[in-house]
Amino acid sequence: MACSSRAMLRLFLTLLLICAGWLAATPLASGQSASRKETVAPATREAGLAAWQQVYSVLTHPRCINCHTATDYPQQGDDRHRHLFNVVRGTEGKGVPALNCATCHQGANADSTGVPGAENWHLAPLSMRWQDVNDKILSSADVCKSLTDRSKNDNLDAAGVLKHQQTEPLVHWAFAPGRNRNGTARSLPPLTHDQLVAATRTWVEARMPCPQNP
Amino acid sequence: METYKLTVNGQPKEVTADPGTPLLWVLREDLKMTGTKYGCGIAACGACTVHVAGIATRSCVVPVSLIGDRPVVTIEGIGQDPVGRAVQDAWVAEDVVQCGYCQSGQIMSAVALLKKTPKPTVTNIEQSMGGNVCRCGTYVRIREAIQTASQQLK
Repeated sequence: MACSSRAMLRLFLTLLLICAGWLAATPLASGQSASRKETVAPATREAGLAAWQQVYSVLTHPRCINCHTATDYPQQGDDRHRHLFNVVRGTEGKGVPALNCATCHQGANADSTGVPGAENWHLAPLSMRWQDVNDKILSSADVCKSLTDRSKNDNLDAAGVLKHQQTEPLVHWAFAPGRNRNGTARSLPPLTHDQLVAATRTWVEARMPCPQNP
Repeated sequence: METYKLTVNGQPKEVTADPGTPLLWVLREDLKMTGTKYGCGIAACGACTVHVAGIATRSCVVPVSLIGDRPVVTIEGIGQDPVGRAVQDAWVAEDVVQCGYCQSGQIMSAVALLKKTPKPTVTNIEQSMGGNVCRCGTYVRIREAIQTASQQLK
């Protein structure tokens, strides 16, 4: 009986050692699982074009396009009317002395007074206008062309475009735009910021394809 | 309510206010500096203009909580600055003021303009002063006074 128990114990210990050795050899135990690179197929052109349309739907929302004008002034509101108070673009897209963007727009939203704000409030350069001088929104193909043209987009490569969407304070502001003077919330773009970044990433991975004008 | 430490016209000030309280009301009600005027309350008229870190700022729409450590200069303190002094002297020389209600804001904007653009063109003046409204219609004298101050500063 004692001999049988010893044999059973030996068998148990042997099995335990085999299990421990197997576990030690697996990526899970060595911590490789979390950092293991998944094999991801590159996004297809079709997936890239579909992602671009999502990005375009955000870029042409009033929270974004109101400061991507083709005119000497920014716009305001969901109806994209001319900015009140005789505000003009100025040489650096930040207004003129005594009537700068920062004359009202501070580093954060002022919900008690209805003035939106974020770090470095300014107009996009004219090279990145997404509407024509008559306030007509440019086509998907034309906005895409601007965004991928390094002579127009502040010399951003694909990674730079993605980083801009991820980190630019004014991009972040569009998804947390605060309240109007009457206390109502400003309308939001059709995607969340995370969805915008994901769509931009897919588009970038597909080598930033642009649609053609009809 | 929160307590805020401000620097106004070079002097340290401490006020207790709701974070959303516009700077204008902190100046007028808490600090009793009534030279800065309430006009429209929506940044449309410029009567409430002060300087925050040298930038002309509509104090009626900027909550005190967003001022931080940036220095504030009001009409009560702008005369200590050479450009401010020149503008105020020009205002007197050109007899700009009629009712006077908007004029502290006009002067604060004019100083901000001349500090950045010492020799402004008429277009510069019209663009920079375009956010300051005067119901008495003193615009022509304001423009002349800015040009006078500009010449005094050469």
